[in-house]
Amino acid sequence: MASEEQKNIDYEKGTVSTVDLHDSVRRENPLMPGGEGSVGVVLLVIASLILILGGGQLFSTANGFSDSIYVNDNYQPAPRPSLGGGEEEGEQVAWIEDWMSDGKKVYNNCIACHQASGLGIPGQFPPLVGSEWVDGGTSRLGAIMLHGINGPFNVAGQTYNQLMPAWNNLSDEKIAQVVTYVRREFGSLPEGDDGVVTTEMIKAAREQFSDQTGPYTEAQLLAIPEGDKLPGSPVDLQTGGPLGAGGGDAPAEEGAEA
Amino acid sequence: MTLPEPTPEEMEERAAIDRSTRYPVMFFFTSAAAWLLVATLLGLVSSVKLRLPGLWDDCAFMAYGRLFPAHLNSLVYGWAMQAGVGVMLWLMARLTRNQLRNQAGILVAGHLWNAGVTFAVFTSWFGFGNSLPLLDFPKWVWPFLGISYLLIVAGIIPMFRNRRESLVYVSEMYIVGAALWFPWIFFTANILIGKGSAPVMASGLDAWYITNLIYFWMAPVALAVAYYIVPKIAGRPIYSYPLAHASFWLLAFLAGWTGFSRFMGGPFPAWMPAVSGAATIFILLAIAATVFNLMATLKGCSKIWEFSPSLRFTVFGMLMLATYAVLAAFSSTFSFGQDLQFSHFLVGLDTLAIYGFFSMTIFGAIYFIVPRITGAEWPSGKRIRTHFWFSTYGIITLIVTMLIGGIAQGGNLANWDQAFSTSFVNSSAYVVGRALAWAMIFFSNFSFLYQLALMFAGKGRKSDGPTLIHAKPGEAESARAAAGL
Repeated sequence: MASEEQKNIDYEKGTVSTVDLHDSVRRENPLMPGGEGSVGVVLLVIASLILILGGGQLFSTANGFSDSIYVNDNYQPAPRPSLGGGEEEGEQVAWIEDWMSDGKKVYNNCIACHQASGLGIPGQFPPLVGSEWVDGGTSRLGAIMLHGINGPFNVAGQTYNQLMPAWNNLSDEKIAQVVTYVRREFGSLPEGDDGVVTTEMIKAAREQFSDQTGPYTEAQLLAIPEGDKLPGSPVDLQTGGPLGAGGGDAPAEEGAEA
Repeated sequence: MTLPEPTPEEMEERAAIDRSTRYPVMFFFTSAAAWLLVATLLGLVSSVKLRLPGLWDDCAFMAYGRLFPAHLNSLVYGWAMQAGVGVMLWLMARLTRNQLRNQAGILVAGHLWNAGVTFAVFTSWFGFGNSLPLLDFPKWVWPFLGISYLLIVAGIIPMFRNRRESLVYVSEMYIVGAALWFPWIFFTANILIGKGSAPVMASGLDAWYITNLIYFWMAPVALAVAYYIVPKIAGRPIYSYPLAHASFWLLAFLAGWTGFSRFMGGPFPAWMPAVSGAATIFILLAIAATVFNLMATLKGCSKIWEFSPSLRFTVFGMLMLATYAVLAAFSSTFSFGQDLQFSHFLVGLDTLAIYGFFSMTIFGAIYFIVPRITGAEWPSGKRIRTHFWFSTYGIITLIVTMLIGGIAQGGNLANWDQAFSTSFVNSSAYVVGRALAWAMIFFSNFSFLYQLALMFAGKGRKSDGPTLIHAKPGEAESARAAAGL
C-alpha cells in the first residue's frame, strides 16, 4: 500500500482511482425523484388559518391602500390625546390634567423670579404661595398678568419694590393655562373655587382692562374689588366643555355679576 | 428497504465531480470558518459591552456602535454567505452531474469576496459606517461583493444550462433562485441608497434588504441543502414532490414583499407595512409546507438523525426556520409588533435566522460535503456532538432571552411618558443571556474549526465508514446498520 503522501500526489494527478480515495461515494444513496404523498387535512386547516389571519391583517391595516394615509387606525403607540392618539375609555386623561401640564410649560416664563416652587426669593421677588393676589378673585390676577405691576406693593406682609412686566404678548389660551396652573398649584383656593380660568375669561379681561396703559400700581389694583371674578362660564373638569345647566359638584363661581 | 447499489461508473463520476470542486469549495469553507471565529468573538465582546457600557470607555474601537456592525458584517458576509456559496457550487455540480470547470474564476471571485468582507468589516469598525445594518459600509465597498457574486453566478448558471438530468430537482431550482435573487436585492438596495434616497426610505430599503436576504437567499440555499440531504441520507424520495414545487413558487412570489413591516406606524403610507406584514404571514404557508414535507420524509427514521451529523444539523436548522417564520409573522402584525419593534427582539430574530436556521443547516451540508471533497472522514464524532449541543444551547438561550427582553424593552419604548433610557436600563439584564449565548457558540465553533482545519490539512481519518455522532470509530459499522445507513 502506497504511503499517505504518495496517495495524495497520485490523487492530484488523477492516476489513482478516485473511488479508492472517496470511500464516501461508495456508501451514498441515490437521489430519487419525488414521492406523491398526500397533504394531510391538518396541513390544509393550518393553511386556511394562515390565509385568514394574513388577509385579515392586510385588509384591516392597509387603510384602503391610500398613498396619503400614514397612521394606521389600529396603531396607537402613544395614548395621549394632545398628540392626536386615541385612548381607551378607562385610561382617558382628564381635560384639566392636560390644561395644567400645558400651564406648567407656560410657567417656565415665570421661574426666573417666582421660582419653580412658587416661593419667590425673599426680599427680592414675591412668592405666589400664600399671596393674597393669587388666592383672591381672578380679576386682580388677570389684570396683573395683562399689564404688569410696578412697586412698591405688599405681598404676604412684605413690601417689594419691583416691576413685573406685562405678559399680554402671550395668547389668551396660554395666559389662561398659566393662571390656572398658578392658582391650582400655589394658591389656597376658597371653598367651591376650582381655580380654573378659561380662555374666554382672559379674552373678557383684555377688553375689561383695555384702558390701562403701563403697569398697574398697587392702589389701582386695590380699586378692583377683592374677590371680583372674570366673567365666563365654568367648565367640566373632565371634558373641558361647558357645565350642564344646574351643574352639580363644580359650583358655579363666575356668575353673571360681571 | 434495500437501495440499488451504485455502479462503478456512477461512483467514478461522483468522485470526479467532488475532486473538481475541491479547491474552490474548500477555499470558501475555510475562509468562511475563519470569519465565523471573528464574528462570534465580536458578538461576544459587543454583548459584554452592551451590558457594561462603562467598560473600555475611552476606546472608540470598543464602542458598541462599531463592534456590532463589524460583528454582523463578518457573520453574514464573511461566514454565512461564503459558506453558502461553497455549498451552492458543490450541490449544483453534483445535481447537474457537471464537473466544476471555471475553478480559477471561482477562486478569483473568492478572493474578491474576502477583500470586500475585509473592507466591510474594518470600515464599520473604524467608524466609517452609517446606520443601516448590513449595508453600513462606505459606497465603494459594495461593488467588490457585487462583482464577486456575479462571477460566482457565472460559474453556477452554465452548470445548470448543461445539466445532464432531464428532471430539474427542486434543490436546483432553489440554487438558481438564490443565485439570481441576491444580485437583484443587493444591487437594488445599494444603488437606491447610494443615489441618495430620502433617509426614511433608506431605512425602509434596509429592512427590505435584510428580510429579503433571509427569505430570498438564506432560505433558498438552506432549503436546497435540506431537500438534498434529507432524502439522500434517509434513502427515500421526498414525501410529496408537487408540494415541494408549490412551496418553492410560493416563496419566490412572496419573499420580495417583506421588510417594511419592521417600520409599522412609521413614516410610510400605511399600506406598505400592511402588505409586508401580510406577506410575512403568507410565507408561513411555504415554510410550513416545506418543513412538513421534510419531516414526513423522515417519518419513522428518527434513529438516523441521532447518528448522522449532517442530518441532525439540517433537521435542527429546519425546525429553527419554522420557529423564525412563526416569530417573524407574529411580530409583523400590529397587535404584537408594536411592543416588539426596535427592541432586542429584532436582534434575536435576525440572529435566529442567520445562526439558528441558516448556519446550522449549512453545518449539516459541510459535514456532508467536506469528507467527499477531501477524501477523508471527520476525526471525531464527539467533537461534532459538542459542536451541535453548544450551538443549540447558545441559540436557544439567545432567542429566549432576546424575546423576553424585547417584550420588556418594547413595552417601555411604547410608553410615551418614560424616558428612552429607562427602556434600555430595564432590559439590560437580558443582555447577559446574549453574551452567554455567544460564549457558548464561540466554544462550540472552536471544535468545528479545529476539525475543519484538520480536514483541510489532510489530517482526516482515513478508515472507511462515516463519522457518526454516537459511535466510536470501531463501531461505525454496527452504528450504520442500526441507523439503516
